[in-house]
Amino acid sequence: MIELKNIEKYYANKGVKSYILRHVTTSIKQGEFVSIMGPSGAGKSTLLNILGMLEEPTYGQYEFMGEDVVSLNERKRIELYRNHIGFVFQAYHLIDEMTVAENIEAPLLYKKVPGPERRSRIADMLDRFNMVAKSDLFPNQLSGGQQQLVGIARALVAQPSIILADEPTGNLQSAQALQIMDLFKKLNEEEGITIVQVTHSEVNAAYGSRILHLLDGVIKEDVTVQQTV
Amino acid sequence: MFKLNLKIALRNLWKHKAYTFINITGLAIGMASCILIFIFIRYQLSFDDQFVNKDRIYRVVSNWESKGSVDASQGVPVPLSKAVRNDMPQFEKVAAIQSTGGVVLVRDEAGRTTFKEDTRIFYTQPEFFDIFDLTWLAGTSSIALTQPNSVVLSQDKATKYFGDWRKAMGKTIRFRNQMDLKVTGIFKEMPENSTLALNILVSYANYPYKDSDNWGSVGSSSECYVLLKKGVDIGSLDGALAQFNKKYYKNDTDGNRQFHAFQPLKDIHQNARYGNFSGKRMEKKEIYSLSIIGAFLLLTACINFINLATAQAVSRSKEVGIRKVMGSRRKQLVMQFLGETLTISIISVLIACVLTEFALPYMQNLFDEQISFSMLEHPVIFVFLIVLVLVVSFLAGLYPSLIMSGFSPALAIKNKMTASNAGGLGLRKILVVVQFTITIILIISTLVVLKQMNYMRQQPLGFNPDAVAVVGMPADSLSQLKYSSLKERLLKVPGISNLTFCDVPPSSNNIAESSFSLNGIKVKDFQVRKMYGDIDYFKTFDLKLIAGKLPYKSDTTNGYIVNQTFLKMSNIKTPEQALGKLLEVNGKKFPIVGIVKDFNDKSLRQAISPILISSQKNEYYNMAIKMDSKQMMTAMKQVDKIWNELFPNDVYGSAFLNDDLNSYYNTERVMGVLFRVFSGVIIFISFIGLFGLISFVASQRTREVAIRKVLGASNYELVRMLNGSFLLMVFLANLVAWPLAYIFVSKWLSEFAYRIPLSIWPFAIAMAISMTITFITVSLRSYKAAQTNPIDALKYE
Repeated sequence: MIELKNIEKYYANKGVKSYILRHVTTSIKQGEFVSIMGPSGAGKSTLLNILGMLEEPTYGQYEFMGEDVVSLNERKRIELYRNHIGFVFQAYHLIDEMTVAENIEAPLLYKKVPGPERRSRIADMLDRFNMVAKSDLFPNQLSGGQQQLVGIARALVAQPSIILADEPTGNLQSAQALQIMDLFKKLNEEEGITIVQVTHSEVNAAYGSRILHLLDGVIKEDVTVQQTV
Repeated sequence: MFKLNLKIALRNLWKHKAYTFINITGLAIGMASCILIFIFIRYQLSFDDQFVNKDRIYRVVSNWESKGSVDASQGVPVPLSKAVRNDMPQFEKVAAIQSTGGVVLVRDEAGRTTFKEDTRIFYTQPEFFDIFDLTWLAGTSSIALTQPNSVVLSQDKATKYFGDWRKAMGKTIRFRNQMDLKVTGIFKEMPENSTLALNILVSYANYPYKDSDNWGSVGSSSECYVLLKKGVDIGSLDGALAQFNKKYYKNDTDGNRQFHAFQPLKDIHQNARYGNFSGKRMEKKEIYSLSIIGAFLLLTACINFINLATAQAVSRSKEVGIRKVMGSRRKQLVMQFLGETLTISIISVLIACVLTEFALPYMQNLFDEQISFSMLEHPVIFVFLIVLVLVVSFLAGLYPSLIMSGFSPALAIKNKMTASNAGGLGLRKILVVVQFTITIILIISTLVVLKQMNYMRQQPLGFNPDAVAVVGMPADSLSQLKYSSLKERLLKVPGISNLTFCDVPPSSNNIAESSFSLNGIKVKDFQVRKMYGDIDYFKTFDLKLIAGKLPYKSDTTNGYIVNQTFLKMSNIKTPEQALGKLLEVNGKKFPIVGIVKDFNDKSLRQAISPILISSQKNEYYNMAIKMDSKQMMTAMKQVDKIWNELFPNDVYGSAFLNDDLNSYYNTERVMGVLFRVFSGVIIFISFIGLFGLISFVASQRTREVAIRKVLGASNYELVRMLNGSFLLMVFLANLVAWPLAYIFVSKWLSEFAYRIPLSIWPFAIAMAISMTITFITVSLRSYKAAQTNPIDALKYE
């Protein structure tokens, strides 16, 4: 699904290149659950941003579902956002002015999903995450865990083939974090959604099927997790 | 999608109440000013628009050229209309109209006078009604005024004279106690926006000088209107007109000639060169300058909006980022933000309409015109409102929406958007400078206009106009016999100290000039202004003689008094040399017996004319009464009573000289009010905008302020840091505004013969005002920011 070849990212400052990523080459297949780990400043988030096309690599080749992303125009990229990619953020990033239901609805509006179907999909999501009673609340009326559930619901409602999550549990207490990770695992196993997450936590990484260890912008290790559960 | 965006827009407005308030107040006030200016201009442009043939109607006007100087008149020689009718077949109709005034008497069957008034009437020909389609309530255009001794009245006049206009047909009114006129038609009142203020129209056959063949005399009261044949272009008449001019002015040379021209009906209201019967005019120049002020006001309000929106953009960057990764195109975001601006504009325009309704009576009062804000009557106003909303939304919304929609999602989502990389910082500074440049220009202009008006009010005129009433007099020889007994009786009234019979008070716009000879030599360089008054003229108006003495008391001229300007222009060095010189004016040759100190005989816009004063009883149309200012009101009542006893068939009319003098400066007064109001509005808009901006800057720099505070910065240092850039911007705006304002005010001042010297003070005061208000506005907010506890700011992140 994702092919990265020799991805480099650096910022040139007074002729000195400070590298964020170096020679990153890897591929992620449909249905994988990949965790990107590493210390602060290792380039985890940058890698995820490149995967999510929020940043462009300075150098290297990136193919998403067989398409060369580097040469993609904005229109095409937006099409990918609408149909294939769902984002989940550490700080949830819900739109404060929108209610829970409206936040979930927003991507469907951009995807031009017709009204009745929109309503049924939102109802479906709310039902699935046990938030029917909260549909008219605004984000700041919810706990962090609940906000992240809305964030995930928003990412899922457009039925993406991949979810990119940047420290999805970073702001959550451990009980809530476990709940989110269970959800990811379930989505991955039952619906075959590809998941790429950035995380600090070994526990969280253990939920995935594969771990990429980054250090100073270089992939040090690429291990397959032995499923113990 | 639209519904959701609208909902979000409203929630956003509600969330940022303070900024919404600033934006909407600024826009609403700016828009209200624009609407007021628009409806005023619409009204001014609607003059004479009601006539079916308006595009084919022209007025014949007169022009003179002599040795480089030009002159013009709305009038034509009396025989012209006949000649045009004969010589120019391109016209369908030609009608002469003659304005005059006099006393109208209405009598009942028994012959008792039931109503009298001194009013204006017009002699005109039946063709006039073919050119201008009046609405007839009784009678028709085809028969009215075809017979001599007939009159048509407007609905109001007929109602006033006979109680009910339905009873007026067939009745008679008596004019000037000379002719009885039969009412043959009633027409609907002409609208106020007409340069033809016609109320009473009398058949042209009654005009005493209708058969005059004097081509040399042109009075502004004799006008001629023509109706061009359909399909004829006015330009094709140039040749015929040149021939016409040559035919009737045979003696003219190239350097010194009289000629006529055709003035389109639409131009009459907007051309100050000629003038018109109603006296109402609004020059294109004035319309343009008002439009410019309107545009400036709107621009200032839009700048507020742009500044606040781009400043606010940072706080919305997250939303932009999220929307982008959810698949929103840039275009969709631009539309969303423009939609929000549209919402604000619509709310503002609604408030602006309410403000307009409130301000309308004041404006009608100021301009003394019935200006309408009825969208049903004038749908163009509605169209203007829509255009206004769209223009404002676009002007104010486009730039911020382009900025905001252009945010990179990666930065936006990570909250790494700061004021500097959100863009627009440089532009925002430029806009603030532009805004304050406009504001400062207006402040300077206002100060100069007010100072000049004050100067004119305090300028010594050379005579004393205080507590002087001017009363109109019937000037026929029969009435003149009663003058001396009137004077005798009035001087006994307590409070009246002096009175004089004269043609005009020392300062008046009613000007009679004449060429003259000095010691037998004809003077060609200039003409002398003639004023007539009896011997008490000087005492009544407190005019000072600097040489010679007053002539002997007489009813006819027996000696001339001239002013200092006359001496200067005649190259007479000392007043004493002038005494005894023989002056011949209009065939009357008498010596100069006295020199009067110069006084201002016209408005202070104009220089003093060379003047001669003499007695000439048959030229006295007025009586000037000097009173004790404390007893003015009771004395005037007595004057009214005694006057009416002596002249029962005439109509008493009086005015205070000071009021007349003030009316010279009506334009300046209106301008002064407009400047004060508009500069107040613009100051308000600019400074609430500034307050909004400093609020944002302060909140954005909270963390910086907190860190500096932890490092040991004092409140004073922090306030100075936050204020610095704003004071610098306003200072720059001052520098830009000064030369522009200088050009503008010196041009305006150059229209006055008596004007204040243009000093540094208005500029310095404008600077002081703008800097002080800026300092206060900005400090209020930055002090608050500096005082916050650093822990509050630092514990996040």
